[in-house]
Amino acid sequence: MTNMTDRQLLKELRAKLNERKKYEQEVQMLTRELQEVTNKLRESESLKSHFISNISNEIVNPFTSILGLSKSILSVEKNDWKKVVSMVALIHSEAFNLDFQLRNIFVAAKIEAGEVVPNISKVNVRGIIQSIIDSFNLVARKMGITIEFEYNIEYGFGKNFYFKTDSEKIKLILSNLLNNALKYSYKDSKVIIRVWTDDENLSFSVQDFGTGISDKNQKIIFERFKRLDTGINSLNRGHGLGLSITKALLDVLGGEIEIDSKKGEGSTFTIHLPEAKNIVEGFSGEGNDIFFDDEDEIF
Amino acid sequence: MEQYSQHFLYPSTFFASKDPYVVKTILGSCVAICLWDPVTRIGGINHYMLPNWNGNDLASPKYGNIAIDKLLERLAQLGAKRENLKAKIFGGGELIESRTNGAYIGERNIRVARMILEEKKIPVVASSTGGKKGRKILFFTDTGEVRHKFLDKKNV
Repeated sequence: MTNMTDRQLLKELRAKLNERKKYEQEVQMLTRELQEVTNKLRESESLKSHFISNISNEIVNPFTSILGLSKSILSVEKNDWKKVVSMVALIHSEAFNLDFQLRNIFVAAKIEAGEVVPNISKVNVRGIIQSIIDSFNLVARKMGITIEFEYNIEYGFGKNFYFKTDSEKIKLILSNLLNNALKYSYKDSKVIIRVWTDDENLSFSVQDFGTGISDKNQKIIFERFKRLDTGINSLNRGHGLGLSITKALLDVLGGEIEIDSKKGEGSTFTIHLPEAKNIVEGFSGEGNDIFFDDEDEIF
Repeated sequence: MEQYSQHFLYPSTFFASKDPYVVKTILGSCVAICLWDPVTRIGGINHYMLPNWNGNDLASPKYGNIAIDKLLERLAQLGAKRENLKAKIFGGGELIESRTNGAYIGERNIRVARMILEEKKIPVVASSTGGKKGRKILFFTDTGEVRHKFLDKKNV
């Protein structure tokens, strides 16, 4: 009889031990999962705080300059127009920069929210590129950099070549490439923008003669929040979003980007874009061509 | 049919609504997950191109794991109940010209969908995945009905 109870006791103990082991294993597994999640969270948190400190500089610095400069304009001696003009030019370049960065940040947020869709129209290619160059001209002149525009499309309507694409996205892509080119250029150099077409592709390139990018860094530059802190004119500026945005926008348009760069000799970024009709065949974008096919299967 | 509004869903975006919508999208190697709550009649759909976010690009719904999370989040905001949700999975074909960026994108896209939905305990009640053709689907956000048609390659 006592034998029996002993055996029973042993059995119960063993069962309890097993159960406990199972619990322990479960706890271990959960702990591991929790650790993984925590790590991921920490990583994304650190990226985010890095990003926020970056953009706060981006926004606060220009505002500080604009506030300071406009205050000093108010106290400029009468008729000292030269001084006023130079300060207004500074205010303009700060405001320009602020506007540019804010646009980028909003677009990045839109991309991450999945709200960016193509908005296709016939675009006057020469016109929009010229408008981007014009908008950067003042800033470039301040750095002593000339922007050259080589336009190699010989056909089209008059001087203008129309291409079905998304003008706002092209503008942003080109602005980012041009902004980078200026940022990494040496003083008193130039940036060349070229445009050409072949068959159904529109291509444009932005070439600078600045610092160039090493092979290793060429892979890094497309990652979000990553920046190379070697910009000559950058004064440590930028949010590291420009090329990530460019890449995401090119995705929407079905385009591609190439980079050709040598350390010390400068960089050329080239964009190839298909005409928009090739992106998604057979719909207008308004959704008004949703129709039923007889062959439709129902799920 | 009159009472349905219409929406065309682009790649790397998602859509969800309380009101009855019919959503059209075209799939190649991309995958679309339709989710709806038959009780509240709230539904939504995503359309992602790659399985998992690589941590480098912008964290957009181009990536399956992000696209699913964002869609679930939006559906919850609209008032859909997680425990009511049902799922249908479409797409993930291996078109020959699936580009060069890694093999079996379609297959990997499908796998991510099934894995995440299982993890979240959302039943997959119908699917049409894989194969070598593109697809056109129309998704009705209120009933969860999907009209599905294979496409010739040139249309994708």
